[in-house]
Amino acid sequence: MVVVLRPKRAFKLPVEAECITPDSFAGKSVDEIGKLKVWEGNRERSLNELFSVEGEIGAKPEEVMVKIFGDVHKVRRIGTQMSAGEIVVHGDVGFHLGEEMVGGKILVDGNAGSWLGSMMKGGVIEVKGDAGDYVGSAYRGSSTRGMSGGTIVIHGDAGNELGYYMRKGIIKVHGNVGQFTGVHMKNGIVVVYGNSEGRSGAEMTGGKIVVCGSVPSVLPTFTVEAVKSRVKINGEKLAGPFYLFKGDIAEEGEGKLYISKASNAHLKSYENLV
Amino acid sequence: MPIISNVTCPVCGSLCDDIEILVENNKVVKVKNACGLGESKFLNYNGHRLRKPLIRKNGELVEASIKEAIRRSAEILADAAYPILYGWSNTSCEAIRVGLELAEEIGGVIDNTSTVCHGPSVLSIQDVGYSTCTLGQIRHRADLVIYWGSNPWSAHPRHIERYTAFTQGRFQASIWYRYLAHLSAYRARRRLLRALKLSSVREAPTIEAEAGLPPTLFRKERKMIVVDVRRTRTADIADYFLQVEPNKDYEVLEALRALIRDEEIDMDTVAGVPVETLEELADVMIGCKFGVLFFGVGLTMSMGKLRNIDTAICMVRDLNRYTKFIIMPMRGHFNVTGSNVVSTWQTGYPYAVDFSHGYPRYNPGETSVVDILARGESDASLIVASDPVAHFPKAAVENLVRNPVIVIDPEPTPTTLMADVVFPSSFVGIETEGTAYRMDHVPLPLKKIVEPPSGCLSDMEILQRILAEVRKIKRETAEVA
Ligand code: SF4
Repeated sequence: MVVVLRPKRAFKLPVEAECITPDSFAGKSVDEIGKLKVWEGNRERSLNELFSVEGEIGAKPEEVMVKIFGDVHKVRRIGTQMSAGEIVVHGDVGFHLGEEMVGGKILVDGNAGSWLGSMMKGGVIEVKGDAGDYVGSAYRGSSTRGMSGGTIVIHGDAGNELGYYMRKGIIKVHGNVGQFTGVHMKNGIVVVYGNSEGRSGAEMTGGKIVVCGSVPSVLPTFTVEAVKSRVKINGEKLAGPFYLFKGDIAEEGEGKLYISKASNAHLKSYENLV
Repeated sequence: MPIISNVTCPVCGSLCDDIEILVENNKVVKVKNACGLGESKFLNYNGHRLRKPLIRKNGELVEASIKEAIRRSAEILADAAYPILYGWSNTSCEAIRVGLELAEEIGGVIDNTSTVCHGPSVLSIQDVGYSTCTLGQIRHRADLVIYWGSNPWSAHPRHIERYTAFTQGRFQASIWYRYLAHLSAYRARRRLLRALKLSSVREAPTIEAEAGLPPTLFRKERKMIVVDVRRTRTADIADYFLQVEPNKDYEVLEALRALIRDEEIDMDTVAGVPVETLEELADVMIGCKFGVLFFGVGLTMSMGKLRNIDTAICMVRDLNRYTKFIIMPMRGHFNVTGSNVVSTWQTGYPYAVDFSHGYPRYNPGETSVVDILARGESDASLIVASDPVAHFPKAAVENLVRNPVIVIDPEPTPTTLMADVVFPSSFVGIETEGTAYRMDHVPLPLKKIVEPPSGCLSDMEILQRILAEVRKIKRETAEVA
């Protein structure tokens, strides 16, 4: 059963709408949903002041599908802590989408803002466009609340510090990524099909990062272990060859960093060390 | 003629508190002990200043009464749905405290200048913690001083003289005369080479970088190392200058960390520095008795930002397995540390605090003022003792001046020219007393040495009056409702 939300106007101020989740919509009438509280700047408003709400609402979260049409790139924290059901955004969406998400599915047609799926515990997020910085990251200053489960797939590019303090789960980026992918990563998997701006795996202690495109360089604290013909990630085989690095030795890390050999001719000197 | 002694200098984060000032007819006539920066502030502060409140009417700034200006500001702030309150590093802790109260009252975002200087340091300290001490301890005990991405000779002129290389500690000898000899020899050599270059057709020989570390780094007395991307004045007097390629600090720090842990590195050079040199440097760091790493904006604002500090702190943590090592940011404005401290004790967060939901929230990048302005989300601003129009990126400035701007500042700046309400305030530490925090988190009193011109209130008084007026407006609207 589908609920449709449409923004009534373009937003200038940041809008915080933690209530847009299947969990808080389930079992409510359209009117009741319209009365849920959201913040626009420092003013508290009800959801139907900012959005038109229509459709049918399921009784349980897993029966709720929320569809948002229009530009909601100023709207933050959609899908916070959702546990089931589905959210589909036809347009760009703001910061903290799917923060602390436990289950269910989020699909974004456009681009997503920073902190996408931060502190995520389960479920699936798929973004057709680009994502900002800190995809699947931890809360500021917290070393224990990184992404701990679930899947994030980004078809466009992603920014810096993707998977910061990641502990479990999988992030796939089909485009390019910025710097510090998997910084402080403890476990989990990151796959980058495009290029990386470098410093991947900085201070990682475990987990796997695969970069299929080019990197400017590898950090000095990674030691080359082998050249592998392919890598297997969750049943998917990625054709290599890949250089396999281990690190970050500055953290006594056991993380694995796979870098494509074909796209990185400048790393050839590492072969002498294998 | 009263000589006022033990005056604290309100210019840089070193906050020298040994300044002596001679005052005649409510005018500073002589300054002793201060460096050039401090002295010129004490002597010249009064030359070019604002004296009357201004309000923009029909597009022009016109003089107004203080009462009118307070009312106008309170109306702007009470009306705003996402106001920002920015600046704070050049005022007293007392004023900052009132500013935080005002931010809470109007549901605004309050941020200080660390957002554009040492914000990354704060973020990484929150990630990994850090070990530090006071400057006094460094002066008396440190036998190895490293300045990384920082040029105290120009930015904190008395830092070296009071706390590190040029001063003799109670428990740590310093052969400071060597530094002076070093400096004059270096300058003479530079002059000679320049003369040679000008007088001969042939290219003069350049000064070759030494391959290994100089033997002076292994002596007992205090040693000083400078790491930077270019040779600064501070580098000229150092025992050893390590030049790294721009934006490669992170790699160097990581490599040093691995070497400190006795790991091997697969590369021959890191950021243009041979690994052997780094190995020796790691040994010097491990071998010292009490080391200190001062880092500046060269590290916090080069590529990697907070991660540079993150790994620098981790390096210091690793070093503490072998010896005593501490790390300290070289804070710029005299009370930028204070603005972090006051904000932390009032709200739990050091900067970029968002009160829009009525309680403090914090997420730099989301709630930091530069980013809010760049996204064009705010609808009014209050700027205290700072000049964002001159220092922020263009897009942020455009969004700032598109909305009402209130400025409290003793001096005219590009920001006051673009403002809607301007309050002339008195100079903290010269005309008003207060408290400021030195870069090592030691609070020091700021003195009042002369009377302010009539009509110039202190930052704190202006803020208190705006706050009272905002509360009055809120009561009025509540009664009407
Ligand atoms: S070093 Fe800084 S605090 Fe000390 S006198 Fe100079 S400007 Fe003032």
